[in-house]
Amino acid sequence: MSTGVLTERYVHEVVRRLPADQRDDVAQELRATIADTIDGRGGDDHQAAEREVLGELGDPVRYAAQYTERPLVLIGPDLYPAYVRVLTTLVAGVLPVLSLGLALLEVADGGGLGDAVRVGAGTLIGVGAQLVAAITVVFAVNERIRYRRGTTGDRWTPDELPDVPQQDKGGVAALAAVAWNVLLFALIVWQHTAEPYRADDGEHLEVLNPDLWSGWLWPVLAGLAGLAVVGVARVAGQGWTVRLAGWYALAHAVFTLPLAWVLYRQELFNPDFLADATTLWESQESVYGGAALIVLAIGVTSVAKAYRTALR
Amino acid sequence: MWVVSVEELTLSQAQELRRGTVVLACLALLRKPQYGYALLETLDDAGVTVDGNTLYPLLRRLEKQGLLTSEWNTDESRPRKFYRVSPDGSRVREGLVREWQDLVASISRLTKENE
Repeated sequence: MSTGVLTERYVHEVVRRLPADQRDDVAQELRATIADTIDGRGGDDHQAAEREVLGELGDPVRYAAQYTERPLVLIGPDLYPAYVRVLTTLVAGVLPVLSLGLALLEVADGGGLGDAVRVGAGTLIGVGAQLVAAITVVFAVNERIRYRRGTTGDRWTPDELPDVPQQDKGGVAALAAVAWNVLLFALIVWQHTAEPYRADDGEHLEVLNPDLWSGWLWPVLAGLAGLAVVGVARVAGQGWTVRLAGWYALAHAVFTLPLAWVLYRQELFNPDFLADATTLWESQESVYGGAALIVLAIGVTSVAKAYRTALR
Repeated sequence: MWVVSVEELTLSQAQELRRGTVVLACLALLRKPQYGYALLETLDDAGVTVDGNTLYPLLRRLEKQGLLTSEWNTDESRPRKFYRVSPDGSRVREGLVREWQDLVASISRLTKENE
């Protein structure tokens, strides 16, 4: 039997996508089949026949997928509408507002028109690319999980139909929450890098305490990112599940607890900024205590609401 | 506007019709053990055209479902995997044959009524 280099390359491309225990068997059968088919053509030019036969078998990725019955899509028809909805809302809704806002802040901060355009365009492209990538990853993972679950043979029942008005309202509210988390995240990073506040002596200052960057601000940012991911997953899965609510509670704890602690310790804002801006508010103590309580209260009620919806 | 000719439409619809019959044809032919390429040729000669990249993975799937069994034959210089119908496969074939005959009867009745 004679199989050419091209056949070996084809067989390798197919079997490396199969489960390890099937590889040798499929490879041997495929080699024999290809050789049989080439012989069946009966031409003199063996190499040309080999090219032709492999061409007819088609893309090895597709061929291997026929064996495994794995979906050849990143995001399938079930999730696609939700994916498009989330993507358009965030990209068309939030991104321009964010970019414009940051550009305007640059102008307000005394930057020229060129700087403003640069900041705006930079945000549009940079944040936009990350937003699209993050949403796509969440949906693709969701698709894989669904596919695995689908093969276990869970039957769909009408009980799984979501409530129409509630689902829609939840979808919009969840998207708004995601937008808010992303915005807050961006603002925290922005005030650190751009140092937007200008003190009376002309020095640029961060609004938040710079010392927090060696401590409590990281869990706050991680928690915000987590909340955004859970929010997208919630819209993708169309509603709360108990597990998702668990992740939500975790992300919220990671975000809220350090924030409340920092507020309670009165360490949130940059002391230099406060010293310069005392005229902005009179008594700081009561403001800090109240803010800490409010942050905790918001966190607890959001998580409770997520669980209530999931368990209903 | 891009128009698909009636001939092309008929061809693609006919392909849809044939798709489901490949399994039945395999279950019928594989009462005698046969290897992939020879089965493809036999099917082709019988007028059941199917591409290799459809047939070979299909045989594996039917084997996985327990409708076919397989055995390597190393008597010749080129080892080949021979498939044959399992007892379960035979029962499925009988069911499919009944289904096929019912379909032929109802479709011919339908097409006659509407002539």
